[in-house]
Amino acid sequence: MKFIVSSTTLMKHLQQISGVLNSSNPLPILNNFLFVVEKGTLTVSASDLESTMTTSIQLTEGKQGGKIAVPAKILLDTLKTFPEQPLTFLVDEKTLGIEIVSDFGKYKLTGFDAEEFPRVPVMEGSKTLKLSASILLNAINKTLFATGNDELRPVMSGVFFQLSKDNITFVATDAHKLVRYRRTDAKASGEGALIVPKKPLNLLKNIVGDSDEIVNINYNENNILFQFANHSLICRLIEGRYPNYEAVIPVDNPNKLTISRSALLSSVRRVSIFSNKTTHQVRLKVAGSELHISAEDLDFANEANERLTCQYEGEDMEIGFNARFLADMLSNLEFENVTIEMSAPNRAGILVPANSENADEDILMLVMPVMLNN
Amino acid sequence: MHRSIVHMDLDSFFVSVSCLDYPKLKGKPVLIGGTSDRGVVASCSYEARAYGVHSAMPMKLARRLCPDAIIVRGDYERYSQLSETVTDIIKENVPIYEKSSIDEFYIDLSGMDRFFGCYKWATELRHRITKETGLPISFGMSENKTVSKVATGEAKPNGQQKIDFGNEKTFLAPLPIRKIPMVGEKTANLLRTMGVEKIETVQKMPVELMENVLGENGIAIWRKANGIDNSPVEPYNERKSLSTEETFDQDTIDVNHLKSLIVAMTEKLAFQLRSEDKLTACVTIKIRYSNFDTHTTQSRIPYTSNDQTLIDRAKELFDKLFQRRMLIRLIGVRFSHLVGGGQQINLFEDSEEMVKLYQAMDRMRKRYGETSIQRAVGTEYERRRFNPFNGRSS
Repeated sequence: MKFIVSSTTLMKHLQQISGVLNSSNPLPILNNFLFVVEKGTLTVSASDLESTMTTSIQLTEGKQGGKIAVPAKILLDTLKTFPEQPLTFLVDEKTLGIEIVSDFGKYKLTGFDAEEFPRVPVMEGSKTLKLSASILLNAINKTLFATGNDELRPVMSGVFFQLSKDNITFVATDAHKLVRYRRTDAKASGEGALIVPKKPLNLLKNIVGDSDEIVNINYNENNILFQFANHSLICRLIEGRYPNYEAVIPVDNPNKLTISRSALLSSVRRVSIFSNKTTHQVRLKVAGSELHISAEDLDFANEANERLTCQYEGEDMEIGFNARFLADMLSNLEFENVTIEMSAPNRAGILVPANSENADEDILMLVMPVMLNN
Repeated sequence: MHRSIVHMDLDSFFVSVSCLDYPKLKGKPVLIGGTSDRGVVASCSYEARAYGVHSAMPMKLARRLCPDAIIVRGDYERYSQLSETVTDIIKENVPIYEKSSIDEFYIDLSGMDRFFGCYKWATELRHRITKETGLPISFGMSENKTVSKVATGEAKPNGQQKIDFGNEKTFLAPLPIRKIPMVGEKTANLLRTMGVEKIETVQKMPVELMENVLGENGIAIWRKANGIDNSPVEPYNERKSLSTEETFDQDTIDVNHLKSLIVAMTEKLAFQLRSEDKLTACVTIKIRYSNFDTHTTQSRIPYTSNDQTLIDRAKELFDKLFQRRMLIRLIGVRFSHLVGGGQQINLFEDSEEMVKLYQAMDRMRKRYGETSIQRAVGTEYERRRFNPFNGRSS
């Protein structure tokens, strides 16, 4: 097997897929990139058993086919040091010896048998879905932060894709906060429900740009495949039933507070510096058209109080939140003004944009309060 | 410049309080503690100490040593009330103090020497406390906390002592090793088997030898024996854990009974946690078998103050810990890794009804007392703890 490739092109492609690699792997083969040359195209894959990411490069010269697994770390470290120049890879598939020739000299390393590399699952009985890159990117950005980390509840560690003929809904929750992002300008051919793990979505975010290009999605019961330009990512879906999120979103919220998002966000961030370092608890008190945000850390006698003006309809109330959750939500809401809908100090607070410009987009964020001791 | 650290300790605090409230007890051997045979002596008067009684001794043994002793059941509410009064006096008068237990204080007077004369000043403070509260108090003064504490012990009862800078080692040298804070009975026995009786011997030993025998603690003990202690007086002593334990009148193996006790203890602690606006991230269960083998196990949990979560976890830990089919003498529950904050409500697990129910229960407890509402399974526990003499549960 032999091929010639530009050092920077190869580096760029490898960096896009190297996020799949774990720092410690149960199988040594997973510390490798799989290189396959076939019909004048080089495809490189990285896998962590759960997700496999592949990128392809058109080769101009040296088209002797073959495949081999190349140790990822040593290859990436070497490529980083090269300025733009052609590199020649010579691989002896019998001895697994790899020789790289650059303008500066020659480097030899030993690869692994390509057959050891985990096979990409074959998608049987799959359905297709087309999404524009910008919708997918938006959906990932808006939901990913709300996913959970609890190993005991794996379904919450992914983003829920609910497909229907009328719209597609993306949901993420960790049981303390929840995001529901619905697009009516994206449609599926039928009903479907998928839970996609966090890690591949994070990787996808890095390769899908904010464009109108189409991402082709194939999915069946076990796997989902994303194809975009010359990249593809296939990953195992999370098994299990996603919690009934609609049932926990309160409908009747008579207390409505509308406020500038950036003002509230910076106030929450500032005040939370003075809150307890573990619980990040802040207190919101609304009365009339004034929002009073306060926090204290009794252990260090730290305390902060701020007042903001807002529009408020409803009864005066006092409610406690984890400031981290509030800040995460506010920074992902990208609207000028937000409305916080509440009913009682022990029930969820709901954040929605005060005035949405995009009729096809429906976003709702929910945050559960902390119980205040009055 | 060297520091001036004062250690103040109320003399046999519980006994002094009892004598204050019931003057008839004065001058008599008094034991404070559980009145049953299995209780331990929490404190005893100097008259009782003459018979060889000391605190933490089983009540049964103490009674045998001193049959005439008057046994008083402790009134812990009254103790903490008086302890607060003393704390207030100290707080008003000193720049930095640390309350290290209900009856012990460290005070940092460094730098005050040139204005007042620290020793004179501390003497005045001691007299003021005794005058205002009627409680005898002793103090020791030196360059650091350890030496001051030892000096207080030597000055008692109702005395005071100053160890001048530079004399720490000579002061400690003739004292028995047991006087070093953190040397308990076990360590003392171990050192004694090595032929170490006096602190002087530890002072002469190389620190490596102490480390070989006792590990990290050995180094700490060696430093203390040499009068070296740089630890500062820490003004605010944040409570790091909440715990409760119960010794049975009769050893038991009745698992249902034990579990109901754990439920009641956990419920009680969880309420305390919420009242103090705290959350815990670590639950510990302790059991002591009838042969005094003591076992503990603990488990980390996400920060919570929720009754049900804590009770479930405590029961799980108990099942894990109680493996030997042997009679149990004592069980205990402890919450540690405490932080300030309220319970984060869970979107799926906490229904609105449950949240409201718990909040309503806490309101009832605050208004009508801790035992006004509780899980039925744990009611037996409160009945057992009910004190017919003062109408309160202890």
